[in-house]
Amino acid sequence: MNKYSQWAAGGCNRLEGKPYALRAAQSMASAALLIFSLGIGGVARGQQKQVKATKATETLPPLEKAYGSKGAPITFEVFSDYSCPMCRNLFQQTLRPMISDYVASGKVYLVHRDYPLYGIPGHQYSPQAARWANAAARVGQFPAVEAALYDNQTSWTQDGSVEKYISAAMPSADFKRVQRIVEGCEPPGPTGKPDGINMPPHPCSVDPYIEQDILLGNQVPVKGTPTYVITYKGQRLPPGSGFVSWPLLKQFLDSLLAQ
Amino acid sequence: MLAAIFIFAAYAKMKPQPGMPWTMASVRTSLAMFAMGVDSYQMLPPSVVAPFAHWLPPLELILGLWLLSGIGLRLSSIFSTLAIMAFIAAMFSAYRRGLTISCGCFGPGEQIGPKTLIRDTLLFLPLSLAVTIGSFRMRRDQTECAQSEPAAEPQPAK
Repeated sequence: MNKYSQWAAGGCNRLEGKPYALRAAQSMASAALLIFSLGIGGVARGQQKQVKATKATETLPPLEKAYGSKGAPITFEVFSDYSCPMCRNLFQQTLRPMISDYVASGKVYLVHRDYPLYGIPGHQYSPQAARWANAAARVGQFPAVEAALYDNQTSWTQDGSVEKYISAAMPSADFKRVQRIVEGCEPPGPTGKPDGINMPPHPCSVDPYIEQDILLGNQVPVKGTPTYVITYKGQRLPPGSGFVSWPLLKQFLDSLLAQ
Repeated sequence: MLAAIFIFAAYAKMKPQPGMPWTMASVRTSLAMFAMGVDSYQMLPPSVVAPFAHWLPPLELILGLWLLSGIGLRLSSIFSTLAIMAFIAAMFSAYRRGLTISCGCFGPGEQIGPKTLIRDTLLFLPLSLAVTIGSFRMRRDQTECAQSEPAAEPQPAK
């Protein structure tokens, strides 16, 4: 009878037979095989998808939807939807202190990327909000508009009264210029989805910027908002998503800067 | 196999980020990144997240090595089963709340979704339970064997 039949028969010698070293070696070989296969899975996960851009995005002049100095060692890109509550919490509780501290001191360059989500209840005004924000960026009023949109999110997401809060956020002369830019931008606006983008039937002048952001997001890939990508000295780190509190983000940024 | 899961999970959380060398500073950066992932679950206050996230991967490594050694297998398998159950509960909670966040199971980048939930619930948990039950049965059988073995025959006098 071999060791396994003895064991099956309830024999008392089931622990004898193979020496301990051989049993340990077999365990380690199984462990190594599993680690190797999980590692390959990780490599496959890391491969990014390329999504083709439309002609309109190929030669876009730059639009400043960012805070701080481009020369900062850390770039923090956030893909967000103005109707997303977690994006609002991230902006108010984490990005605001980061802007007044690490962005102001030249440690971080914060970039906003639009990713209005497609088909989510309560997000129907996101594309319009993104259009207004991009138009505001054309006249140098992006920070004020971003703050106004997030601070009043619970109101305008109910009734679509985006314009009211944006007009209150900037001088009237600038607001008139922004109004002219979004004139004729009929809903729906562009929205993002995991495998592509929904472009409106009649895009307006700011839509290519939103499209560009969505295409960048699909390369990350963005599966939900907020999603953030941190680049340190030119090296892009794995993306993160969801809310992160400022003390923990600060700890991470400090550890990067200490490298 | 179960030990490999814990060892790989610990390695994936602690290994340096792309482009960074293997130094203590890089490991600290990776642990800080893992802390951000834990924070995104929004289950623990920030003051608890940091120490939890910095200690969990080394504990996973120790647990994996302990399982691999086979010493005190009943206890190590109980700990591993409890740990996996806690991770699954946290993932289900985040998924139920609609959070689109990284699982953090094997480092950053893997979203919580049906695939990760199924993998952990139908693969890792049964594996851990099988090891736990098996370790208790082995111990029981060892005890029974020890009790049923006949006493050694006395040596004849010379």
